[in-house]
Amino acid sequence: MNQLSKQKKIQFWALTLLFFILPVVFLLLKSTVLNFGFGRNEDIEFSFIGWETLFSESQLIHATLVSLGIGALVVFLNLSIGLLAGKALAFYSFKGKSVIESLFLLPLIVPLLAIAMGIHVAMIRIGLSDTWIGVVLIHLVPTIPYSIKMLQSGYASIGTGMLQQAQVLGTNRWHRFFSVELPLLMPSIRSTVFLIFVISLSQYVITAIIGGGNVVTLAMIYFPFLDSAGSTVLAAFSTWFALLPILFYLSMELLLSLLPYQNPWRTRL
Amino acid sequence: MKKFISFFLFTLLLSACSNADGESNSNTQSLQDTSFEEIEAQASETTVRLHMWGGDEGINNYIDEWVAPRLQDQYNINLERTSMDTVNILQKLYSEKQASKQDGTIDVIWVNGENFKNAKENELLYGPFRDQLPNFTDYYEQENLAFDYDFGTPTEGYEAPWGKVQFVFLYDQEKIEQPPATFEELKTWISNNPGEFTYPNPDDFSGNAFLRHLLYKGAEDTDTLIEEPFSKELASEAGSYMWSYLNDIQSDLWRDGKHYPASLAELDRLYSKGEVSMTMGYNEARAEHMIEDGIFKESTRSFVLDSGSIGNTHFLAIPYNSPNKAGAMTAINFLLSPDAQTAKLEPTYWGDNTPISLDKLSKEDRQAFESLDRGESVLSNEVLDKRFLPEADAQYVEWIKENWKDEVIRDK
Repeated sequence: MNQLSKQKKIQFWALTLLFFILPVVFLLLKSTVLNFGFGRNEDIEFSFIGWETLFSESQLIHATLVSLGIGALVVFLNLSIGLLAGKALAFYSFKGKSVIESLFLLPLIVPLLAIAMGIHVAMIRIGLSDTWIGVVLIHLVPTIPYSIKMLQSGYASIGTGMLQQAQVLGTNRWHRFFSVELPLLMPSIRSTVFLIFVISLSQYVITAIIGGGNVVTLAMIYFPFLDSAGSTVLAAFSTWFALLPILFYLSMELLLSLLPYQNPWRTRL
Repeated sequence: MKKFISFFLFTLLLSACSNADGESNSNTQSLQDTSFEEIEAQASETTVRLHMWGGDEGINNYIDEWVAPRLQDQYNINLERTSMDTVNILQKLYSEKQASKQDGTIDVIWVNGENFKNAKENELLYGPFRDQLPNFTDYYEQENLAFDYDFGTPTEGYEAPWGKVQFVFLYDQEKIEQPPATFEELKTWISNNPGEFTYPNPDDFSGNAFLRHLLYKGAEDTDTLIEEPFSKELASEAGSYMWSYLNDIQSDLWRDGKHYPASLAELDRLYSKGEVSMTMGYNEARAEHMIEDGIFKESTRSFVLDSGSIGNTHFLAIPYNSPNKAGAMTAINFLLSPDAQTAKLEPTYWGDNTPISLDKLSKEDRQAFESLDRGESVLSNEVLDKRFLPEADAQYVEWIKENWKDEVIRDK
């Protein structure tokens, strides 16, 4: 038994190292090393030119903050809609439910660009194009289907029993939501938050079209650099790009720890 | 459910209507009869928003560090640069046109070729404005095919020439002593050095330009191909040489020709790692700041083939719904000035060649151009001018894209 678990542990670490840690280390290394290769008979040269270029990009900090803000809002809206729709789909049965369910997935099937181009004309008419509100709304298109699906299965796995129990004990709706549903849904919420933020962060084309260059997110600066051969700059940029979701995730964790039953100093269930 | 369906139909109907009434009325703000002094005065204390491709630090720095502060000092104009791909800019303008939006958010764009053709056909540009610019009338040739036609599309004053570039091959001097001078020599070199050469697939801008050189070479009369509008007969006649050449070299290409780089950036990376010994590009000075950034080896040099090297001009234009056309014209006029063009030519910034006529300049200005050292990897103007070939009709680009897979990939 002990032997087996030890073996499993080694397997686990080997795989983690190979697929998750090494690529990140390699990326970090690459961002400080000038282009090298086997056919190139030169010594490896260390340089901070990649990071220098990154921070000389005048809009970097501003764009990062814009991305964080838009991402946070998209995540918040997603959770609001996803929790409501997910609960309804998990617990209630009504006529045409399967039709509605597949309609919710439609934005993932129809090409995003086609949707964005159609919506753009409408947004110009009502004055939402070229604004950050418009960008937040268009980011909902590729994200909402995921959050509905994920939170729906989250609710389904809690089941109705626990909620009915709370109802029998005389809690009101909000109390139930905060002290029963949210804590039990925590795993689904965590993954939703992370996934939605990453999707929102990496939207380039739809941000460019709806934001019209007025809303400069990090992707707007980062993506054009994919066309260049300077892998050092690209690696530095990618590292910066990857830091954002991690930062966001950590601050989200802090926020979530304020919820009931999450505080390690409080009595555990 | 019924309610839902009717709502759905209603939305469909709405979106159908929106296409019908998308015809926009002509723009109210026209500066065609205004003198340039007046225009410059109007431009003072305004913001000009320049949207352009932003994937090159050299170009970005030129705009941010050299142009913007001077526009502020000399004209009191605040220049804002935004990175955006030209295709997306045009997409945005097109939607705005459909929705009859008259107050846009873009004042100056950087275009040429197919994009210009699309923009002009869909009436997305303001103009004509070029001949109102004093710097254009003073320092540029007034009748020049390179300014009047953009990949075969007549420009008619809707865009002003900003720079020009020429196609070159780049090679590593340490690996190749004498670069090939003709396509036949290139073929011999490739077969002697298997795996050392490849080209980006023709969906890529530069890969396509490489193939167009072969197309020119295969044409019975290159001038006819360039001057005549696109014809299938001419294309397939000139194409037969190109396809057989490409099939001949295929087995000796990088990875035995089973895989082609999807973009020039990919080929550049292969070259920078030393996997191949040649790369290419549609800018004769592009190696300079790649070397400076340590991406390319210092022994990188460039060459062109005797049969010629295609060059083109790139332009600045003003969107039809720019809210600050006076500012846009003032800024473009400044970008065309001898000072701005000299700074653009400096290898530390961009290294982009100038379309200006040197003999129209004052002695000092001309000297500034002539004394400028473009760097060792750049060929002399003499060589470049001698080999210069203009672009043919833009439809050849599409024709090559469409046929390459059938002719080169599929017949294996």
